[in-house]
Amino acid sequence: MRLGEPIKMQAAINITPLVDVVLVLLIIFMVMAPQMRKGPDVNLPNTAKPTDQGDERGRILVSIDDAGQLWINDQRVTREHFDEALRAAVGTEQNPKVVVRGDAKLKFGEVREAMLALDQAGFRGVGLIAKKAGAEGRRD
Amino acid sequence: MQVNRDNSDSGLQSEINITPLVDVVLVLLIIFMVVVPLLMQGYDVDIPRTSSQPVQAQAAESRLILSIAPSTCRIFQPPASEGLPADCHVILAKQNIPAAELPARVAEILGGQPPERRVLFLDADDRLNYEGVLRIIDLAKSNVEDLKIEFITH
Repeated sequence: MRLGEPIKMQAAINITPLVDVVLVLLIIFMVMAPQMRKGPDVNLPNTAKPTDQGDERGRILVSIDDAGQLWINDQRVTREHFDEALRAAVGTEQNPKVVVRGDAKLKFGEVREAMLALDQAGFRGVGLIAKKAGAEGRRD
Repeated sequence: MQVNRDNSDSGLQSEINITPLVDVVLVLLIIFMVVVPLLMQGYDVDIPRTSSQPVQAQAAESRLILSIAPSTCRIFQPPASEGLPADCHVILAKQNIPAAELPARVAEILGGQPPERRVLFLDADDRLNYEGVLRIIDLAKSNVEDLKIEFITH
């Protein structure tokens, strides 16, 4: 706008700041999405047709890493303290569900031991988490 | 994004129309926000307890048992490619069959059963690789809906 020209009103909303904010939010979500998962890095087994196990939130995640160490959610636990830690993780929650994230390199016996410990703690049935073969780009 | 605001005479619009871009970006944002709730995939399995359980009531001889032994299916390392080694054999209802035939055989035996009787008891050797065992479970489940897997513990 130069001096002397009639003032032109701009009727359109300036959406450039909105686009900036949305783009930044998008990038934040894209970057943070893999890191929002609980538990250690586990190289999940690849299978052809795993069924949906629902949302990770609200489940108790028992992870077994490639060294055979047990994790409950984000905490590493020893086998001796597994029961206590599990009870602490359950807390007051009614009808808790447990999923087991075992590393693909494990021997089946190591996973079975963890399942037996879960069984003794009173959980009937667990979900064994796998990854659909060919689904790339996930950290776990 | 404002390239040239000086559109005085010609009436040509020199601004880029970013509305479609905004639409696409907003949709992407919503997709990411919805997908981030961390969906998991896997297999539901049970461990039969020594205490009385409904499944336990099923007569022992009518159970369908799938055994995986290291002598017939050598999966000690994670399988290199998708699927299972071609020479992998499993024992289903005491018969030694190639793993590739498993979906058809399980469907044949359990497909006609009522859903609560569709239970497969799995007896896998502890030395086997976990990923290989999961792939065999995957095969066994692939042709039967609502198949329950129970682990046999010694």
